[in-house]
Amino acid sequence: MPTAVELKAVDVAYPGGVQALSDINLTIDEGEFVFLVGPTGHGKSTLLKLLYREEEPTAGQVLVQGWDVPRLTASRIPYLRRRIGVVFQDFRLLPHRTAAENIAFVLQATGAPCPSVEKCVQDALSQVGLADRAEHFPGQLAAGEQQRLAIARALAPGPSLLLADEPTGNLDPQASASVAALLLEVNRGGTTVMVATHDPAIVNAARRRVVAIREGRIVSDTPEGSYPENLAQD
Amino acid sequence: MIWHRIEFIWSETLLQLRRERLIAISTVSIVAVLLVLLGANLLFIMNLHLWTGRTAAEVEVSAFFRKDFDRQSAQRTAGLVATWPAVASARFVPKEEGWPEFQKTVPGSAKLRGFDASAFPDAVYVRVKDPRQAEAVAKKLRAAEGVKAVPDRFGDFARAVAKFRDVVTGAGIVVAILVGLAGLFIVHNTVRLALYARWREIYIMQLVGATRSLIATPFLLEGAIHGAVGAWLACCVLIPTHMYLRTVAARSAPLLLLQPDQALLPFGCYLVLGGALLA
Repeated sequence: MPTAVELKAVDVAYPGGVQALSDINLTIDEGEFVFLVGPTGHGKSTLLKLLYREEEPTAGQVLVQGWDVPRLTASRIPYLRRRIGVVFQDFRLLPHRTAAENIAFVLQATGAPCPSVEKCVQDALSQVGLADRAEHFPGQLAAGEQQRLAIARALAPGPSLLLADEPTGNLDPQASASVAALLLEVNRGGTTVMVATHDPAIVNAARRRVVAIREGRIVSDTPEGSYPENLAQD
Repeated sequence: MIWHRIEFIWSETLLQLRRERLIAISTVSIVAVLLVLLGANLLFIMNLHLWTGRTAAEVEVSAFFRKDFDRQSAQRTAGLVATWPAVASARFVPKEEGWPEFQKTVPGSAKLRGFDASAFPDAVYVRVKDPRQAEAVAKKLRAAEGVKAVPDRFGDFARAVAKFRDVVTGAGIVVAILVGLAGLFIVHNTVRLALYARWREIYIMQLVGATRSLIATPFLLEGAIHGAVGAWLACCVLIPTHMYLRTVAARSAPLLLLQPDQALLPFGCYLVLGGALLA
């Protein structure tokens, strides 16, 4: 199986001596679904940010689909990001644009290979069950719907890697389960999915690979695992 | 593909213009006020140069040849003078023509006793390109072959005109630079406000892989449109005002030369272009 993501001896340190990540070694194959779990502030988001070059490692190697991410020039970063969809806890939707416009904006801004923007937008909305909400503004959608719209936006350009940073952090349990189910469905379509979360419910329900991070270090890596008991208490 | 990109950039620009009305109004107003100041300054300098240029063209240096200098040689010298870089034109005037001309221009000269065309010398009348060069040309003329005298009746006036023009032009340029710098500072801050208001969209565009040029182009176009509209407003103030002043000047001060109306069209075009670049 080809490798989607590979991190070798990665360190991230911030000015002032704060060590965000230490000696991270992680390999994720294409088509895998991986949960990054651990307490808030222990390095999950930093690890994801390394993959789309919002953060840079102070040491080590970060490879995404063969791209040596830290060595990319500024002009190449957009092309890396076009291969990666990112979903955030706070959705980061454009409030003055409708659901359809939020997706169309991304398709047009990235020049995604799409014969008809309207058709691609409709397909993306249908995939997340929001076809009837195309003309709604984000403020008119429930939190769970907003997150599904954010996932549709991330998926619309057809990325091969989807990163979700605390995608259920602002959602009630029912909406969380719906979003988790959607992410699993995306993965079944062949997209590699990495989800950073500290929500044990969705991790335990999915039974997928679980990589636990504590104080910037990987403390366990379990295939078809569950949320580690010792981390759940933090 | 390229067409889709252009369409996207243009639609984003129009959307921004529609959405950020307050920023649009403030930018357009600032650019309009600045360009009224800059444009008034520029028009003043253009008119000053027109006036001093016309005055300079009227500065004529005359050189009189020795009576024993034969006409053919005098004509040759006049032809040579015409080739000097500082000289706009050199007109050889034989004494037969020079004497009646002299009588016309110098009151009472017709009654000079014992003085007629035969006593009058051949001359060359020289127009200089720049009044500041009149003195140097006169000096060179004095040393030219066959020249006896070069009356120094142009120097003070030419110098005064040139000095006045230089001082006012220098002051105008200083004012233009100060106003331009103030304008850049204000426009820079307005653009920063616009960027701050739209940081979320910019961030999302960066995240999804939009290139820097794609992100920046709608902002540049938006600024250019603000600038062009501001400059157009400035033109709407400056050009009719200048046309009115020209009409008034033609009636009450005919000697006060102002730029013709047709010269205002390129002026307006440059102003709009400048406004677009400024913003």
